[in-house]
Amino acid sequence: MQVSSHQFKRKAAEALTNPQLHKAMSNLRMRMVAGRAESVLELDNFEDIREAAKQRRDFALANLDYLLEEFERNATARGAEVHWAETGEEVNRLVLDIARRNQVSKIIKSKSMLGEETGLNQFLEAAGIEVRETDLGEYIIQEAHETPSHIIAPAVHRTSEEIAQLFYEKHGLPRKTDIGEMTREARTILRPYFLSADMGISGANFLVAQTGTSMIVTNEGNGRMTTTLPRVHVAIAGIEKVLPTLEDVSFILRLLTRSATGQSISNYLTFTTGPKQLGDQDGPEQFHIIIVDAGRTRVLGSDLRAALRCIRCGACMNHCPVYQNIGGHPYGWVYPGPIGAVLTPAYVGLENALDLPNAATLCNQCGVVCPVKIPLPDLMRKLREKQVERGLRPWRERAGLKLWAWAATHPAVYVWITRIAARLGRWAGGPAGLIRNLPGGSNWTDERDLPSPEGKIFRDLYAVRGKRRA
Amino acid sequence: MRARDNILGKIRAALGRSRPLTDTEAAPVRMALRQNRRGPLPTMTWELVPRFRERCLSLSSTVDEVASLELLPAAVKRYLASNNLPQGCVCWPQFAGLDWAGAGLAVQARPATGEDPVGVTGAYCAIAETGTLMLLSGAGTPLKNSLLPETHVAVVQASRIVRCIEDGWDLLRREHGTLPRQVAFISGPSRTADIEMTLVIGIHGPYRVHIILVGA
Amino acid sequence: MRVGLFVTCLVDLMRPRIGVSSVKLLESAGCEVVVPASQTCCGQPGYNSGERAAAQALARKVLQEFAECDYVVTPSGSCGGMIKVHYPELLSEFPDLEAEVRRLTARTWELADFLVSVLRLQRVPGRFHGTVTYHDSCSGLRELGVKWQPRQLLSKVPGLTVKEMAAPEQCCGFGGTFAVKFGAISSRIADQKCTDISDTGVDAVVLGDLGCMLNIEGRLRRRGDPKTKVLHFAEVLAGARDESA
Repeated sequence: MQVSSHQFKRKAAEALTNPQLHKAMSNLRMRMVAGRAESVLELDNFEDIREAAKQRRDFALANLDYLLEEFERNATARGAEVHWAETGEEVNRLVLDIARRNQVSKIIKSKSMLGEETGLNQFLEAAGIEVRETDLGEYIIQEAHETPSHIIAPAVHRTSEEIAQLFYEKHGLPRKTDIGEMTREARTILRPYFLSADMGISGANFLVAQTGTSMIVTNEGNGRMTTTLPRVHVAIAGIEKVLPTLEDVSFILRLLTRSATGQSISNYLTFTTGPKQLGDQDGPEQFHIIIVDAGRTRVLGSDLRAALRCIRCGACMNHCPVYQNIGGHPYGWVYPGPIGAVLTPAYVGLENALDLPNAATLCNQCGVVCPVKIPLPDLMRKLREKQVERGLRPWRERAGLKLWAWAATHPAVYVWITRIAARLGRWAGGPAGLIRNLPGGSNWTDERDLPSPEGKIFRDLYAVRGKRRA
Repeated sequence: MRARDNILGKIRAALGRSRPLTDTEAAPVRMALRQNRRGPLPTMTWELVPRFRERCLSLSSTVDEVASLELLPAAVKRYLASNNLPQGCVCWPQFAGLDWAGAGLAVQARPATGEDPVGVTGAYCAIAETGTLMLLSGAGTPLKNSLLPETHVAVVQASRIVRCIEDGWDLLRREHGTLPRQVAFISGPSRTADIEMTLVIGIHGPYRVHIILVGA
Repeated sequence: MRVGLFVTCLVDLMRPRIGVSSVKLLESAGCEVVVPASQTCCGQPGYNSGERAAAQALARKVLQEFAECDYVVTPSGSCGGMIKVHYPELLSEFPDLEAEVRRLTARTWELADFLVSVLRLQRVPGRFHGTVTYHDSCSGLRELGVKWQPRQLLSKVPGLTVKEMAAPEQCCGFGGTFAVKFGAISSRIADQKCTDISDTGVDAVVLGDLGCMLNIEGRLRRRGDPKTKVLHFAEVLAGARDESA
């Protein structure tokens, strides 16, 4: 996907003035936060499972090469073709190659964020192959020529009226007003694609090393169809998706479905091992798995490694006050919210996403809900440190902080400065004690007053108190 | 092979090695791959059948019971008729010998197409913890019958209800040894909330899942 | 016991009465309070902006200044968290300081937590006739586990009733330099917090961090609410703001 993270501030400002988005995001926050909280109560040992999940993911990352080789061995033994891609471009070329070799003209896709990273759809379409997104949210944004704004609910930023209008324009059927009717219409429109596609492309929530299995977590049924109906199935997965055993996947799923949508279990868990077997009555003739680096090895070897534990639940963004107010598009790439603030600079380059790790209060609502305990604020802080090290921060900002630090390490000067600031501030606040306008401080005073200082600094008050008592 | 070698090489370098794990170093991961150790399980003190039933209902499935398989055709007919549903069924071969005609149903034992309104399947086993069906691909078990039709009727032997998914894997390992091409865990009718976060039951997969427990 | 008060840069500059209230509370509970004169800042602005060296210099200064106290107590979850939770990582490049850092973090307490968990304060000097709601500042809550302590203390204030707002744990949007780097987003988050506060109809919002305080008060006033008071729990407990109907 094209990166537009450098437009963060502008897009965030636009988002803040969009009442439809505000309504959509309020709705998202209400349902997702409450949904997760309720479903988590079902598990009397939620925090134990969470700690175990973190450890298991770390264990897998620490043994990643071994597990990937094991996965490849077992998948191949079951008739799957395993490919490796170092970059997003390689993924696209491999998929196109598989499509061409098999005279594929129609592809159905179930959701893959990795596919969004590499721009797979556009690449295939440019090569003359029809690619149809089948997850309802992905279908909507494909038709609207947009990018997803959430990793689980990609069209959350769209109102039902907008979608009704879109369907009316694209489907040529009478305009629907009811969400249930729109959903049924989507089913009717997409059904022929499922039944006629030559190839299905899916992502993978997890790869199971022990059995050579690729698995996906879905609710709609499109994932099942994509991995069963067409004669060729291609699954694309980042290297970090591998876990040792089926048991590992099973216990982590208890956290994933609850953290993502507040469900005790998602509708369909689909475990695929190899292509159609002798005697099978459904399944593809070929099953290809593409294992993808695309920047992950660099993160693995960096102090951001914990971000690779991510199981793509979306809880962090659902609970993030910044995301809740601006939505996903300002982040400018595939992953929004706190995980996006870390992965985007890690994958597309620090200098291309400067605002993202800074646009956070470090409140840690994300870290508290992350099912695999990724210390997101700490990672954002590390990225801020890297920006400073590489000289990417504006000189004014650096100068200001350096001046502050210098004054704070020179108490005599500090006291003098703060004494003056306190008196000036008190005067500026007037009788109401509120500063309405701060030269150079419009970022605060545009929408907030600044309560003025009391006028004396504590140091002086305390000294007086001491003298009085002595 | 170049990409494979490069990626594995970069992974090793990232992990502070210039080579694969030695036998000693690989002992923990080798053991993990053999042991099938479960993660922490929540407390599960409920009875299997009541729990399974309750969970299925919470997922918007419907649940019926018959004492034995002979009574299945009548139960299916009852369900379809009382819900005004089309009655053309396809079923798995294991049910072909039942008296469908006697119940007034035309049933064909074959994989479903896009036109078949009702698919009747069995289940390898069922998961009480979550109200989930575990289906395996195979010679007599076309998964399409649980996927393409608008109505999915799933026949579950009460004796094949296990506690949790982990128990399902254990059962599969004991009875089959290896995984089939696809293991499908199904928890209710298909659903989406992609439009304004509004839950809609029924999208690409079945609109209805009707579970008939046998011998509960 | 010798309690060193880490008064914090914002309290010193903006709300010294909170510092005075803190001293009063600690002394009334029998502590000998010392206020190291050279203290300035815990280093958090630099730390959170990626200016590691600057933050380290300030951290080392704090280590030195408070070396002789039995406890280090601060009326700020944010500074308390900085010292207790982040100093070990921040100073990890100086292994020779490790023991000292560990000693400091073990002795550092946020004020409400200290009053309840160490001093086991049973009575407080203040009175407040009215209802308040409590805002949980993020650092205090998520770094130091400060949640029930201020509420327990407020329950001892004669005349005061606590009414919870929707989502008291939701961030107020301050976030240090975030408040000025991303002012529009910060203001919007603050606005949601102010709505939650206003919806309770209380007389005052009480909290334990200056950043939150300035941010919430600033937004409340700008959106046309001159009445809802914004108070630090230390002021309410110490009776600095004795309020009667």
